[in-house]
Amino acid sequence: MRMMGLETEYGIAVEGCPVEELLDAGMEIVRAYPGPHVALWDYGPESPRRDLRGFTAPMLAQDPEDARYDRADRPRTPVEVERSDRVLANGARFYNDHGHPEYATPECRTVDDLVAHDRAGEGVVLAAAEAYESATGKHVRVYRNNTDFHGATYGCHESYLTRRCVPLAALVEGLTPFLVTRQAFCGAGKAGIEDGGAARPGFQMSQRADFVVVPLSVDTLYNRPLFNTRDEPHAPAAELVRLHVILGDANMSEWATAMKAGTTSLALELVEQGWRPPVAPPDPVAAVKAVSREIGLGPLGALSATGRWSAVDVQRSYLDAAARAFGGRDAGTDRVLREWTDVLDDLRADPESAFDRVDWVAKRSLLRQFADEEGLDSVDPAMQSLDLAYHDLHPEHGLQVGLRQAGAVCQWVTEEAVTQALAAPPADTRAAIRGHFVRRHPAELLSVCWSGLEVGYRGGRERIDLGRLAQADLTRWRERLARAVDLDETMTIMSQLEGR
Amino acid sequence: MHIRLEDRTPRPAPPTPQRKEEGEGPTRPDVKRPDNSDLLRRMRRVDPDAARRYRQRSGQ
Repeated sequence: MRMMGLETEYGIAVEGCPVEELLDAGMEIVRAYPGPHVALWDYGPESPRRDLRGFTAPMLAQDPEDARYDRADRPRTPVEVERSDRVLANGARFYNDHGHPEYATPECRTVDDLVAHDRAGEGVVLAAAEAYESATGKHVRVYRNNTDFHGATYGCHESYLTRRCVPLAALVEGLTPFLVTRQAFCGAGKAGIEDGGAARPGFQMSQRADFVVVPLSVDTLYNRPLFNTRDEPHAPAAELVRLHVILGDANMSEWATAMKAGTTSLALELVEQGWRPPVAPPDPVAAVKAVSREIGLGPLGALSATGRWSAVDVQRSYLDAAARAFGGRDAGTDRVLREWTDVLDDLRADPESAFDRVDWVAKRSLLRQFADEEGLDSVDPAMQSLDLAYHDLHPEHGLQVGLRQAGAVCQWVTEEAVTQALAAPPADTRAAIRGHFVRRHPAELLSVCWSGLEVGYRGGRERIDLGRLAQADLTRWRERLARAVDLDETMTIMSQLEGR
Repeated sequence: MHIRLEDRTPRPAPPTPQRKEEGEGPTRPDVKRPDNSDLLRRMRRVDPDAARRYRQRSGQ
């Protein structure tokens, strides 16, 4: 499969900490992380304002509501201090993104690796929060969600490497119906609906749909788009594009995380091959909200000019094309195709039967059950507190964590794979090189970014270009690095790799 | 950006790969629903005002 990654911003509640102080709390939590790491992130190569449409935006839009929480008396903090980037021994990046501890997985080539590393991220954030609690005596709760129910949202972004020769218009046309409707099986569910500052009771599939404002844009902080046009490949820009999907929810279900990435990668592959979907939502922004709020999964006028298509129908059109094109290719692809088939069949026949895989179904079921048991109205404000608790990572309090512990939800990977992912990078991507240096030569590392490293060696600075290794299978080189006895041997192997 | 407004006629669906009897698939739970007594206890412990108090900075 292609190179992929996930970045998850976690919500935090810190005892005695008002929202105005969350920037500092997030920073301190990240800095408390006790595992092996280096703090040498190089921000120089980053270009979040560069747009796939061929220009660079003068600035990114900022949320004026959020700006109310900026304290005038807070000392201006340099970006490297506020973000407090950590590069971990598994090749991941862990940092503070505007008051949210954020874990970016290392680059992964398989869905299994991606899920294992994403789950490992939960362990990283919890370890940092526990260390912060021990140091400060303040209790911390960590939430893997995307909403505070009061207008703020924070993301779980996906990255998929693709070829620059695929026109942007083809990507947008080819993927929009898919992105609008995939929430049917990878929506995390939300109690409540927010519409531009107005909130009302209800239940919807997605946590992020309320915050999609425009069809496409480079922005991520405000006026968020359905299709993000950020052009920051972290790889040779002449050849490659990193499709940056910011629409998705942070799933508690690892099955949903796997299927979100696995199906999106296959849909992208269809588009790369020239396939186009049979339907086009007339207004994609309206459609993503309509799908999220029409949890009956029936035909929706917002999905097509005829109004005959349901979200499941649209997904089925992608599945059928992907099965024709890629079925039987490899075990990982077949696994995604099988699960895609099953869940669409289940959603069509009886959505409740997807309780063990689909977050919004599980959450809605738990909330309904609790309301029935306690005699509450389904729109009682306490439903949002239960929604929040669904995303609590605390082993004794989290509702979805309780489902995991009870063996009531599907696992995609083993706990052993998650433990392994905490310690080691994927074996076959450039993350293996990054992780090797963090583990074995942290004192010699001078800077790190996604596309390269700088190493102090023999009195000079050696730059190792990871950009052009973005698509390389480095399994054999990683094995050689693992046997290297010292920095000299490591650098010799790197020279051979760069000169290959 | 050109977005077509008309629907196309979908082609007939091909057969999709069948689920294998074992291996490769996710670990499926043995029961349709868990023993929910622990979950109900967890839900009863939830502070009903937790979401009202929950405030975050807007992220990406």
